[in-house]
Formats: sequence, structure tokens, C-alpha cells
Amino acid sequence: MPHPGWTGFSFDGIGTRWEISTPSPLSGAHRRQLLDTVADYDAAWSRFRPDSLIAGAARQPGRYELPAGAAALGPLYETLYRLSGGAMTPLIGGSLEHLGYDAGYSLRQDGPPQPAPPWDDVLDWQGTVLTTRAPVVIDVGAAGKGQLADLLSAVLREGGVREHFIDASGDLLNAGPAPVDVGLEHPYDPARAIGIVSLGTGALCASAANRRAWGDGLHHVLDGTTGAPVRTVVASWAMAASAMTADALATALFFVDGFRLQQEFDCSWLTVYSDGHAEYSADFEGVLFS
Amino acid sequence: MNTSLRKSVVVGIAGLSLAGSAAGCAPGQASGPQNTSAAPSAATGGSYQDGTYSADGNYVSPNGNETVGVELTLAGGAVTDVKITQHPSNPNTRKFQGEFAGGIQSQIVGKQLDEIKVSKVAGSSLTSGGFNQAVEKIKSEAQA
Repeated sequence: MPHPGWTGFSFDGIGTRWEISTPSPLSGAHRRQLLDTVADYDAAWSRFRPDSLIAGAARQPGRYELPAGAAALGPLYETLYRLSGGAMTPLIGGSLEHLGYDAGYSLRQDGPPQPAPPWDDVLDWQGTVLTTRAPVVIDVGAAGKGQLADLLSAVLREGGVREHFIDASGDLLNAGPAPVDVGLEHPYDPARAIGIVSLGTGALCASAANRRAWGDGLHHVLDGTTGAPVRTVVASWAMAASAMTADALATALFFVDGFRLQQEFDCSWLTVYSDGHAEYSADFEGVLFS
Repeated sequence: MNTSLRKSVVVGIAGLSLAGSAAGCAPGQASGPQNTSAAPSAATGGSYQDGTYSADGNYVSPNGNETVGVELTLAGGAVTDVKITQHPSNPNTRKFQGEFAGGIQSQIVGKQLDEIKVSKVAGSSLTSGGFNQAVEKIKSEAQA
């Protein structure tokens, strides 16, 4: 629990474990609302189920109307696509499948890495409407978990539960005035932290190459321009007001210098490189153990 | 793209030993210690008895359920030694666990158990459960 005496509500959703902590137990109605929100999100965005809205785009080009959250995801992805020179892209799903991270979890690489299609060639994303010109496997995994955390937080606020803490398996949203001390998970050892940071109101999200790794050098953070896993960064953390932004920036740090991201986003960040050195913004000063 | 890419360099972050290429499979949801065995040797004036303590943790990796063992040695209330016991069945997991087993010691040694307690962990794999449960278990055994 983030605070003594709080209680937790845990469940599985969009392929990960969630724990929502509140000062007092959530009512049955609140819980149902939260679970419905998770189910709706999965039904729209999961590339792992054939009946999702987004799965249709993988089968045939066309016009796909997504839920309201798409209107926030689109511009965020567009900005990061631009800043990363096409490396961070929602069109990465095909490249992931190619390396074996597919709906059937074949975890078998099918030939050399395959770059994602250029955005302008295949996708027009206007608000909640995605128009595609070819079958494309869209994967919003870099920001989706964070966005769902934001949506769940909104559900709680609207239900009168203003203070809460959402833990989406290591992506965190603190919707309360009291700061929470958070350990930064060691990239290669979840039983260990490399530092401790204080999370005030807002979100702290992480990305690491050690997770969703399934073979020699294969992990889930791919460079869209090559379709191959990123090798220079092994872990990253980003803090921002919304979990969607923090989540996306954590992945963006694999491709874009944190100082550059800071020019476009109100954020704090920490990047750990494969040679063992770290770079960080002022808010992460003194956070790492030494 | 093979294991020769692996580097173990420590720059900037003390005790952080990292591999140049991610390989193997990472622990997922840590479910906390499943079974423990304690072998305290002698008591001291500190709040924790000196001794060597071990706990197993289970997690789900893409290879299925895997187990990792952690052995802590306490002296004067501080951790003086940490060992990772590898017993995964899958070769990828074994390789992965080997990579972090080599880097764990210098990071955590000398830190007080209470000092390293956090209420949440930000990372890509788990809630704070795995970390704190293991530490709590060992603390309660050491106080017994």
C-alpha cells in the first residue's frame, strides 16, 4: 500500500496486473465500473484478440472509429513519431509479430527484422477515426497502459474517490496530495532497486528491455525504422502529470534524448544505458543509489 | 547478435551491472516468497539477528513459472551478503538470472533493511510485492 491503512483492489487487465489503493474499500459499484472500463479498453485496442476494433485494421484497410481516448493518443504518438524520426510508432505491431511477439505468442522470429510502414503511407489518424490504406498491425502498447490508468483514475474521481493510487505493474499514478516513495526497479533484477524517488501527484512510468524478452537479444522495444530491438538503452523512467504521457515518454526515451523530450513535454526522466551509465533530469538528481 | 555482445560495465551507477543485449526472460509478477528456511547463527544487540536467511520467489516468465532464490546474510542489522540461487528449468531464464546474479552484491550490501523499504516500485515487471515481501519475510524471521 502506498500509505498505511489503505486498502487495495487488484485485478488483471490488458495483460497485466493492476492494484488500485484507496483510503477505504471501494464499493461494488466502483469496482464494476473500473472493470468495465478495463474491458472496454481491451475490446478497442488489444491486438491480441481478433474481435477488437483495432484487429480489424490488421485484416483490411478502412475507416476505424475508436473510443474517445484515441483523440489523445493520436497527437501524442504523432509528436513522438516526429521526435524519434519514425522509430517510435503505433505501426510497430507488424514488426513485433515478425519477431515472434504475436497474438499466438509464437515467440519465433520469422526472418530478419522488418521495419514498420511509414505513417504517412498507410495511416491517417484524425481524432477518434483511423483511416488505413493497407492492413496494419497497430500497437499502442507504449501509451495504452498509462492511458487506461488515467481513465480508471477519472472513473474514481467521478465516483467521488478523489484520493487513490494506481499501480499497473510498475507504472504508477498517484492521485493524492501525499507523496509516495518509489523504488526504481533494477533493469535485470526485480528484487532490487537502483534508486528511490518521491512521487507527488502525477504519474511515474517505466520501460525496460528486460521485460517481454523472449530470445537472444529479442525484446519488445523495437525501432520502427529497422524493426529491430533497441540496444543502447536498457531502462527508462518518466514522470508527468498524466500516466499516458509518462508511459509514452518512458518508451520514447529509448529513442530520443531526454533533454529533447523536455522541450516538448512537461516531464522528468531517467535513462539507463547499456554501458551502465545514466542520464537524468533535475528531478532525478540524487535519486540513484551510489 | 549473440552473447559476445554482452558487457558488464559499471559506470555512473554503483553496482549496476548490465548486459549489452537483453537476453533470456525476465521475472514477471513476483508472487512473493513461497517457502523459506532460516538458519540464524547467533544473536547480536541489533534488532535483527545475525545469520543467513533464504527465501524463494516465484514469477511467471514467457517460459512459464520460474523460481529464484535469494539468500541474505545479516550482521549488525545490515545486509552483508546477497546470493542469488539459480534454479530455473529454462535455459533462457537461467541465462537471464545469471546476468543479474553477477551484479547484485555490490548494490545492496551495506544497506539497512529498513532503509531500503519502499511502498511502491516503478519498473516494468512488478508491484512492490516481490521486493518488500521477501524483505519483510526475512525481517520477521530475523526478529523471531
